[in-house]
Amino acid sequence: MDPTIDQGKISPASTVVEEEAHSTKTIPFEFTGKADEYFKIWIVNVALTIVTLGIYSAWAKVRKKRYLYGNTWLQGTSFEYLGDPNKILKGRLIIGGGLLIYFVASFFLPFVDEYSWLLFLLILPWLVVMARTFTARNSSYCNIRFDFRTTWGEAFKVFFGLALIGATGLGYPYFVCRRTEFVVSHSRYGTTPLALPWQNGVRTFYAMYLAAGGIFVVLFFVIGMVLMPILSQTFSPFMVPQTQDQQHAPWLAAIPVFLSFFLSMGLLVYLPAFAYLKTAITNFIWSNITIANHRFYSSLETSQMIWLYGSNAVAILLSLGLLIPWATIRTVRYRLDHLKLLGAGDLNEFVSSQQGEVAAAGEEASEFFDVDVGI
Amino acid sequence: MRHIAATFYDGKTAHKKDVRLYFEGTGHMRVVGLGTDLVYPLSAVRITSRVGNTPRSLYFPDGGKCETLENDTIDAILQRQGKGQWQSMLHTLESRLGYVFLALVLTVVGGWGLVKYGIPALATRVAYAVPASVDVALGREGLEILDQVLFSPSALDDQRQTHLRLQLADMAGEIDEVQSLRLEFRKSERVGPNAFALPSGIIVLTDKLVLLAEHPNELTSVLAHEIGHIRHRHALRSLLQNSAVVLLIASVTGDVTSITALSAALPTMLLEAQYSRAFETEADQFALQYLQEHNIPLTHFADMLTRMENYKGTPGQVPDYLATHPATSQRVKMFQDKNSPDSGK
Repeated sequence: MDPTIDQGKISPASTVVEEEAHSTKTIPFEFTGKADEYFKIWIVNVALTIVTLGIYSAWAKVRKKRYLYGNTWLQGTSFEYLGDPNKILKGRLIIGGGLLIYFVASFFLPFVDEYSWLLFLLILPWLVVMARTFTARNSSYCNIRFDFRTTWGEAFKVFFGLALIGATGLGYPYFVCRRTEFVVSHSRYGTTPLALPWQNGVRTFYAMYLAAGGIFVVLFFVIGMVLMPILSQTFSPFMVPQTQDQQHAPWLAAIPVFLSFFLSMGLLVYLPAFAYLKTAITNFIWSNITIANHRFYSSLETSQMIWLYGSNAVAILLSLGLLIPWATIRTVRYRLDHLKLLGAGDLNEFVSSQQGEVAAAGEEASEFFDVDVGI
Repeated sequence: MRHIAATFYDGKTAHKKDVRLYFEGTGHMRVVGLGTDLVYPLSAVRITSRVGNTPRSLYFPDGGKCETLENDTIDAILQRQGKGQWQSMLHTLESRLGYVFLALVLTVVGGWGLVKYGIPALATRVAYAVPASVDVALGREGLEILDQVLFSPSALDDQRQTHLRLQLADMAGEIDEVQSLRLEFRKSERVGPNAFALPSGIIVLTDKLVLLAEHPNELTSVLAHEIGHIRHRHALRSLLQNSAVVLLIASVTGDVTSITALSAALPTMLLEAQYSRAFETEADQFALQYLQEHNIPLTHFADMLTRMENYKGTPGQVPDYLATHPATSQRVKMFQDKNSPDSGK
């Protein structure tokens, strides 16, 4: 990969080509979040959420995001999350109210249920655009906000048409590829747009999904044939109630079998396939995103991701959820430790779009657009 | 004059500049750096609340911003100003071990209380407040779905069906708070001998269950159990409770990646099974009371339960069934124990 290849994006700072080639450097992302510190923040926010019967969850979301953003560094500057909890709460109330209306309506008006897929297809583009806009506009680096801009028509066209194709199953990788292109190419940092100039996107997505499906099928049969007989034999003595206690609650005796089946199928079949797909897609997308004449580079490894996801799942299960913050921190750390910005020149050239148009448009639209729907 | 180190961003470009911040006694602050010397009234500066030890932002009215890691100094300045008490309280809660421990206890106890008492109580209230028309729609849709996935039309003769329908109508007439009951018969290979109570008073008996009964009172006891489900609105309550549990668990684990969220599926299933067992016990209590009031020996229900259990037989399938119902042996024992004092009558 040659990060100096000009992707047709003109940057105000890169006027002399020779200079650009000389100053190419790798800028690593850095994550300084600590599990113990994050645990304290997390548990207090969970407690406040429970005490307020869920209302505080909007504030909790903001504080958790601010911790994760604030500990993400690039070239000595951290990111900042600016989301307003009031707007998030409003967004959640709107979504909740919408769902309630839908449920009630589908009882009294049977045709609502019949056409609910159509309703969903109409609302989906709107939801995605709102969520992306909210997240982008509330993410800031060096006091310059990210942004997400698109027209309604375009979002609708992309999602309506593509969701129909994706719904057939065979079209799903194509849908994911086009959706990614749509989201990335409408994102910008300040006035500088992000781009995804890949040529082989669709083909690569199909290859990745096929490989993941293959991994799943092969593991399913191998694990099924080798492990299941062993498992059922190991636990068969427990299946017959032996003590007085077990006779009263024989379902207790069934838990080990159930648990080991659940865990072994999840950890040995689903997890490797899922981790492979996640790794491949993340690496492929991030390593192709360019901004001005910089390019990202992601180098996650499937084996590491399997270990990370698998140990996270087991730890969370055994700790009854209390290790969620620990799992979050180590996952974010691993991902950011393997993300780099291959830069040409330094990052000073980025310019804010705050002066002028957006300030006004942003204010005007904030009532309507800046409603967070990310859950 | 004391100062702290910070980084200045003008908000127009990504260019960063090392500066020093001076806080002056006059309620002003000064930002001093190479080619920069700005003065702002402190009251116009928006300072973000503290989250852990992440950098603190000071936003100026002209769109500029300073970032500093000197959280303690900023806290001291805010305190002197008498500002940001609420914000600093949050950080105190989030950083002191005592409060963190309190939050842990509150989460565990609160979570347990919510799951054990809060959600069921709320679901009960909502279930009783739901208008009858919704109940009817739910029952109709529920039966439609079951007809599609599980049932085929019954093969029982009309006489038997009519007889049982009349019996149910008699039973319903005696019980308060139960209005219209509807008895349906369905054939199903998959569910074996079983009975279902749907919203709006629909009771479904499978052919196998009717044929399995060796005494009319056995079916009476099954019907009493199902009326118990309907009387207490169990179908609607379980729908509400299960959705609430899913929402609750999703809201706590929501920020984890989807693979890890899988581990939330197991506690969800166990909780839903626990709710289901509570409902079964409640319906059993109702049946027990009904049978006692009508001097029907409780052994009939115990016999029926035992026979249903034996029919299911194969212990390899136990988890599913036993997890959603209390152990049959336990239920049988309850009816046998209660039966003994009455059996002399």
